[in-house]
Amino acid sequence: MEKTLRRRHAAAIYMVTALLLSLISRISSLSVTVNDVECVYEYVLYEGDTVSGNFVVVDHDIFWGSDHPGIDFIVTSPADNTVHTVKGTSGDKFEFKAPRSGMFKFCFHNPYSTPETVSFYIHVGHIPNEHNLAKDEHLDPINVKIAELGEALESVTAEQKYLKARDARHRHTNESTRKRVIGYTLGEYLVLAMVSALQVVYIRRLFSKSVAYNRV
Amino acid sequence: MPTVAALSLIVLLLCLMNNNDHNMIPVAEAVWLTIPSTGTKCVSEEIQNNVVVLADYHVVDETVTEKPSPLISARVTSPYGNNLHHNENVTHGQFAFTTSEGGNYMVCFWVDSSHHDASTTLSLDWRIGIAAKDWETVAKKDKIEGIELDLRRLEGLVQAIHMKLIYLKKREADMREVSEATNSRVAWSSIMSLGVCIGVSVLQLWGGR
Repeated sequence: MEKTLRRRHAAAIYMVTALLLSLISRISSLSVTVNDVECVYEYVLYEGDTVSGNFVVVDHDIFWGSDHPGIDFIVTSPADNTVHTVKGTSGDKFEFKAPRSGMFKFCFHNPYSTPETVSFYIHVGHIPNEHNLAKDEHLDPINVKIAELGEALESVTAEQKYLKARDARHRHTNESTRKRVIGYTLGEYLVLAMVSALQVVYIRRLFSKSVAYNRV
Repeated sequence: MPTVAALSLIVLLLCLMNNNDHNMIPVAEAVWLTIPSTGTKCVSEEIQNNVVVLADYHVVDETVTEKPSPLISARVTSPYGNNLHHNENVTHGQFAFTTSEGGNYMVCFWVDSSHHDASTTLSLDWRIGIAAKDWETVAKKDKIEGIELDLRRLEGLVQAIHMKLIYLKKREADMREVSEATNSRVAWSSIMSLGVCIGVSVLQLWGGR
């Protein structure tokens, strides 16, 4: 009797481990170049899962204006309903509860012809709730708490990825500023030197003796 | 007998878990991309030095027709242009490497054959750092299981978060130095351009005399 109980306990532990290992769902933050429309798909296993993530437009090639219209971000459910929309943004965080399980579509729309690089991160998190607890006798309340802790740490990781992407965008802006300052300063000196030399030559010619004689 | 049933279920689950080539348990780990019929689809990530990168990709067969699966080719390039992985005309593949330089790592996919006019769907499972760690090996080696393994995994995650925070702080410090250098450079160049203007006008006056 004791042996079977112990074996059952070990079996339960293995099953829970396997189940919890399967709940590890994380992808790295990837960057993709958006020319017109770029869509990324992510599979949501259970209805009610929290889908969270963020995206940042890293490579923005605006020359004149400082107000870029940004890109549009649209999330579509497997039933072709729009779950989440953000328009004209240079980066945002999002979080929603999946209305059903299935393949969700995350699309970036670039309204302008210049290609933009978007760095995104999508995470689907599942926490076993009381319904799963009642169904599965091997699932302890502590497993729920551990899953919640795992999800909280995932949200910290997601925030870090967002910060890293924002930092990359800021770095890009800084590099652009630095290049502009150097370029414009050098160009300014060159133009100044050339213009002043031309002016000197012109005025000299104006007051040269041959011209003066011709005037008379 | 319930024990036998439980054991068989566990064996089945473990078998399915270890079968990494075919995703029988649809775990939400991979992201799906659409590869256009012409041109390449590239995804990249900025990775720092000495980080483990593990990736797995396979073509998703959506249509249930007799047509064979479309074949894709993949190439992974390091930030300095070295070719880390190259695969031609396959339906699935994987690669793993440890980064030796910090920078932008890019993986590009393209469809070789011109049979398929429609775009192909590819499932890419890209993990770096702590996500690429093989916890099953750790569990077997240290003989830990269940809750202890979960807590060990969470501890690894917390350490990775700590390391990443230090890295972000260093990057912010580097960028702040560049910003301050640019700031002082702007101030210097403004004063110098004023000085150059005055000098040039003096030269002009002297030259015109």
